Amino acid sequence: MPDPTTDILPDATSPERFSAFAAPFLRAPEGARTVFLVTACACAGPLAAGVALFGWRALAVTALSVLSCAAIEKAYYRVTRAPAMLGRSHACLTGLLLAMTLPAFVPWYVPIIAATFAILVGKAVFGGVGHFLWQPALVGRLAVAVLFPATVMNPSAWPLLAQNKAIFGDVAQAKRPAVYRQWRGTPAPQGADAFALPHPTTELSPLTRGAEPAYSGLVFPGDWPRAKPTALAALPPIGEMLYGARPGGIGETCIILILVAGLYLVYRNYVKWQLPLAMLAGAWAVAAVAPIQLAGPNNTVETVWWPLLGQHLAGRLDPDLCVQVGFTYVNYQLLGGELFLAAFFLAPEMTTRPVTTGGQVLFALGCGVLGMLLQLYFETPIPFYLAVLAMNTAVPTIDALWRPRVLGARRFAFFRRA
Amino acid sequence: MSPRRYGSFAGGIDLPDEKLGTLDEPIRAPVRLERLRIPLPGRSLAEVRLSVRPGQYVSAGQLLASPAGAGGLAVHAPYAGKAGGLCVVQTAGSDGFAPSAALELLEPADPPALHALSPVFDWRAADRATLLARIAEGAVPLHDGRGGSLSRFVERAQQANCHTLVANALESQPYLTADHRLLVEHGADVIRGLAILARAIGAREVILAADRRRTGEYRELVGPARMYQIARVALPHKYPVGAANVLVKVLTGREVPPGGSALGLGVAVVDPATCFAAYRWTACGVAPSARVVTLAGERLKIRGNFWVPVGASVAELTGGTDGPVLHGGPMTGLRCPPDAVVTAATGALLAINAAQAAPSTPCIRCGWCTDHCPARLNVAVLNDVFELGLVQRARRMGVAACVECGVCSYVCPSRLPLSQRVRQLRRAVTDLNDAMPLFAES
Ligand code: SF4
Ligand code: SF4
Repeated sequence: MPDPTTDILPDATSPERFSAFAAPFLRAPEGARTVFLVTACACAGPLAAGVALFGWRALAVTALSVLSCAAIEKAYYRVTRAPAMLGRSHACLTGLLLAMTLPAFVPWYVPIIAATFAILVGKAVFGGVGHFLWQPALVGRLAVAVLFPATVMNPSAWPLLAQNKAIFGDVAQAKRPAVYRQWRGTPAPQGADAFALPHPTTELSPLTRGAEPAYSGLVFPGDWPRAKPTALAALPPIGEMLYGARPGGIGETCIILILVAGLYLVYRNYVKWQLPLAMLAGAWAVAAVAPIQLAGPNNTVETVWWPLLGQHLAGRLDPDLCVQVGFTYVNYQLLGGELFLAAFFLAPEMTTRPVTTGGQVLFALGCGVLGMLLQLYFETPIPFYLAVLAMNTAVPTIDALWRPRVLGARRFAFFRRA
Repeated sequence: MSPRRYGSFAGGIDLPDEKLGTLDEPIRAPVRLERLRIPLPGRSLAEVRLSVRPGQYVSAGQLLASPAGAGGLAVHAPYAGKAGGLCVVQTAGSDGFAPSAALELLEPADPPALHALSPVFDWRAADRATLLARIAEGAVPLHDGRGGSLSRFVERAQQANCHTLVANALESQPYLTADHRLLVEHGADVIRGLAILARAIGAREVILAADRRRTGEYRELVGPARMYQIARVALPHKYPVGAANVLVKVLTGREVPPGGSALGLGVAVVDPATCFAAYRWTACGVAPSARVVTLAGERLKIRGNFWVPVGASVAELTGGTDGPVLHGGPMTGLRCPPDAVVTAATGALLAINAAQAAPSTPCIRCGWCTDHCPARLNVAVLNDVFELGLVQRARRMGVAACVECGVCSYVCPSRLPLSQRVRQLRRAVTDLNDAMPLFAES
């Protein structure tokens, strides 16, 4: 039934109603276009690292993605004759974000199709800037993850340029190295520019969702029965995880630059620090608690809760070292995937996150927990992006329910229905 | 000023401090004015009793007109001159500019400067009733833009058993320096006026709240303030600390309920200009007919702080600058219509290069409006509510708590006229509550 009291507002656009009340006559200098362009500049950091690590193909994917986003946006507004408010700058930003989530080795049509989905399905059908429900870049990313066979978007071996071929190498020329310990100082395999390596999360997956446990522990202590390899030995050193020399999307891998760029966005107040922090904390907590499976002696399976404490090592290592090992494992789970990019660039997309700080914390915790659960226990290619998209769906609800106490209102007034 | 513990408030924003142009300009007499058009009390001529005939010469301070019925305030001639005919001017009220009848005063004398006066009435010996009667006699208006008379305000405060009286000298908006100059040059009189009001209201605690950056210039007030036991509080200048409801929250830690008044909490807030006028009338017997006005802004040739008579034409004072002239602060002020005149509510006339009214774009939900709203309203959602026209929803979200500070519009990167929208929602909610009181209960 229509509410009988809703129609008494005067016409919002009637000019003489506003003429005297034009206050404030001062405006903060920052416009919405600035917001998009500065965010786009911040993307340049992780993207530059991506170009260094994945070569010119990363640059080509980025260019294709940005150009097709801008072109599709323009074409859309040309066809529908809608006024393109802020459309172009936001389309460029979407293109950049999309490129950051894509791997560098994808064929040329993948970024174009992803951009089409991002702009048309992610943005235009909702009415453009400010109205969409799901982060458009992630809509595009999800579309190509679903449309293209897993071997294109999620192959068993991902290429990574060797150090001596950085920037100018071609990631398509990849070979599986015979022995790979670390990226630094390892020359490229004969006749290739890049190593073909398993994704870090794939390396860790037997701990949580293998048919049978593939690892006998996280590390080797001194007198360990070396029946099977150990999980952390299969991964690159933690330093390389931080500066990004590991397989992944173009902008996903260089954690250090993501942090620098993300903190800049926090400094500019485009991202509230609570949001990425809550997302990382949620993911960290799940990884610290959720059980892993290890191969015990005589083909038994050990389920270990609280991997953070490294309890399976108790008795073999002294307790401090156990926690150190567990801590390293948890950090690898966080650093190996796309969590950091999602936490600093994709989840804080303004339109698709709640407005209030409390709502944002709730939203980010949801993203972190859900994403980490997906990464640990489900065979999905882009767990954290899926989690962000899922939580985006809940944003209108969060915005309606989470209301700060208004000045002078009774406490808990927000329990009253709206 | 001695520091005292004070609270803070959520939200708010640091505005650029644009006061330097007029901060150190002493209060001067304005240029010679061609004529004054003194607004008369009441909306129609039937409500006014004129005391002068057209063509009659009047002396400074002479009674010009008094209200025929209850309500409205008598007006006095600021200078000597010749009474002219009647005309219509625009005066600022709490709800924007409204037309008002006015009496012309032709050939006014040279505007006098603002001088200290010698007291003729010993208010310290008077009791509350006497003081109130004297204030009512002098027809002192409130100078802070709320409109209405001081005596009515004092009565209401008495009835509400106000225990605290706050003088709000914060002037937290850029460009405004009138109250600051008044405190620097005539601070002792302001303090005395505050003491008079405190006595009339019966307030036990009296607070003078000022900007922390300016306290060095108010050192001379320490003596008088001690004498009348007035607490001096220096507050940081986060805007809108000068909004009455926010100030009450900061000083007392208690919050005015949405749509309510600070009087309900036993706190009365006045501004220094009102205190000054109260002192000049009560103690010195000079009826209020002028006030300190800041003239500032890039487009003005003559800037500074002036002792401007009520009824001076805005166009004349600003030297006929083209482009809009703002009445009041740049964050909450109004745009002056062509025939606006100065009233007691005119603290400043600004001819600044106002932000270009950039076309607004869709809300990108950055949440800055919500973050910075001192009333903790979720302005982003209120904007949706406005676009959908859901008045009931707005009421439940507590839209009546808005203090009309303009911060939400200021920060919005999409340049949406948020404070105007919230103001309209607020008005719609008030209308709704008046029209359908039963709805207000739910
Ligand atoms: S400040 Fe403007 S753009 Fe940002 S959430 Fe509020 S209304 Fe939307
Ligand atoms: S909603 Fe009202 S109180 Fe809140 S920022 Fe806007 S004008 Fe100020």
